[in-house]
Amino acid sequence: MLTLDEVCLDYGAFRALDRLSLAAAEGALVVLLGANGAGKSSIFRAVSGLHRLAAGRISLGGRDLAGVSPAGVVRAGLVHCPEGRMLFPAMTVEKNVRLGAYVHRRDRAGVKRGLDEVMAMFPVLAEKRHQPAGSLSGGQQQMVALGRALMGRPKVLLLDEPSLGLAPLVVRQMFDAVAAVNRRGTTVLLAEQNAHAALGIASHAYVVEGGRIVLDGPPDALRNDDRVRRAYLGG
Amino acid sequence: MRAAARGRDVLFFQQVLNGLTIGCVYALVALGLTLVYGILRIPNFAHGALYTVGAYAAFALIGRLGANFWLALAGAAAVSAGLAVLSERLVFARLRAAPPLHDMIAAIALLLFFEAGVQAVFGAGFFRIAPLFPQILRFAGLTAPAQRILIVGAAFALMAGLHLFLDRTWTGATIVASAQNRTGAALVGIDADRVSMLTFAISGALAAVAAVLFAPIALLSPAMGELVITKAFVIIILGGMGSVAGAIAGGLVIGFAESFGAFYVSTDFKDIIAFGLLTLILSVRPQGLFGRIAR
Ligand SMILES: Nc1ncnc2c1ncn2[C@@H]1O[C@H](COP(=O)(O)OP(=O)(O)OP(=O)(O)O)[C@@H](O)[C@H]1O
Ligand SMILES: [Mg+2]
Repeated sequence: MLTLDEVCLDYGAFRALDRLSLAAAEGALVVLLGANGAGKSSIFRAVSGLHRLAAGRISLGGRDLAGVSPAGVVRAGLVHCPEGRMLFPAMTVEKNVRLGAYVHRRDRAGVKRGLDEVMAMFPVLAEKRHQPAGSLSGGQQQMVALGRALMGRPKVLLLDEPSLGLAPLVVRQMFDAVAAVNRRGTTVLLAEQNAHAALGIASHAYVVEGGRIVLDGPPDALRNDDRVRRAYLGG
Repeated sequence: MRAAARGRDVLFFQQVLNGLTIGCVYALVALGLTLVYGILRIPNFAHGALYTVGAYAAFALIGRLGANFWLALAGAAAVSAGLAVLSERLVFARLRAAPPLHDMIAAIALLLFFEAGVQAVFGAGFFRIAPLFPQILRFAGLTAPAQRILIVGAAFALMAGLHLFLDRTWTGATIVASAQNRTGAALVGIDADRVSMLTFAISGALAAVAAVLFAPIALLSPAMGELVITKAFVIIILGGMGSVAGAIAGGLVIGFAESFGAFYVSTDFKDIIAFGLLTLILSVRPQGLFGRIAR
């Protein structure tokens, strides 16, 4: 479904991704593990067109994404739910979520249905639908971000650390939601530092270090790998 | 005694109307400036030239092509919107990765370029556009030039229309979203180039409409936009850079301050009142009177 082939990405003179390759099969839930600064977000920025590649190829369902704008990537069926959420803080919760359907705006009935589904998925958002998104708690804002991303009807969803800074109970809820989205057929790439929870729902995992993939395999294999246990599972 | 009190009321009403008129003109100009700043972080000094070009475009459409006032108004809006989009495409879009100072220098260069262009075509002299409604309206012993009522009515209609557009339509939402979070906007599939062009087009059209509405009261000259744009900057600093409500409120505040200042203090001080208020308000509220729609 999504493949990265020898991708390089530079920030000025700094090479953040160095000939990195990975793949996510259709319907997979792929987890990217990596410490701060490993390059997880850079991978997503490269895929969603926010940052130009220095080299390499990215393809989505066989289509080359080289030079495609972020808007073009969304239209092609890939939605990136970014680190830091990037909500529209002064807009209401409902408007934030609704704007996620921008590329489907002509399908009014579909937009309405999507909005109802998101509100049903996160009932707390229904309560706060007329409040500015910026006034919500971190966890609630993360739900808005995920809801907004789902409104884009992604075939492939990139989720960048959705559990960052959330209380354990909310993390659970977030991971359940991600697993549910994946079960309904959406291919998911999930960047996480919360390795326990992430490996629990993953179908495949990669370990990113210094802008390269240093290890990959099914979740069970990674759980039993010494390096992974030391670095990400606390011994 | 009663006659004197009556006279005071009439004069007071006159100042209110004058303040409202000029305030509406300022607000329309400031709205475009604040939208462009809020979304693209460009301090568009050339906005003053879009105002000037709009007035001259209407003048030419009326004088040389015999267009009526409304047609000239629409034509002027289209000309200024077109020039604004061209400056965005040919100049500002290319400076997106450059330091902010480059935008500012380019904007000032554009201002001088457009002004020189107007002077080359029309000369340095003054012109006037005949008012659409030369009548004086009388109501309950008060008098008001119909052109001023037209300015106020048209300006408020435009502002209401702009508000509805930004608040209720998908296209309007792309502008507001881009002002609040550019990355977020890109990630929902909003095309940044389209938003930039649209914002510039709206700002140019608003400036031209303000200029054409006001032209029958003021005079046309190649430098007519300079004082207006300077005050529009004062207004958006007062109102909070990027704030739509702030631009409208700020425009009216400056309009009233000038009108009453000129009347009760001295006409000579009229043009420095805005800058005095700026200094005063910023010393108390450095963030301006309102927050901004942007972060
Ligand atoms: N805009 C930027 N300019 C310069 N360097 C950057 C920029 N963004 C990221 N980097 C650098 O690129 C490297 C990878 O960053 P990236 O954000 O992809 O890491 P990450 O794995 O997502 O980390 P985290 O878990 O902290 O989010 C880091 O060394 C970072 O300092
Ligand atoms: Mg990151």
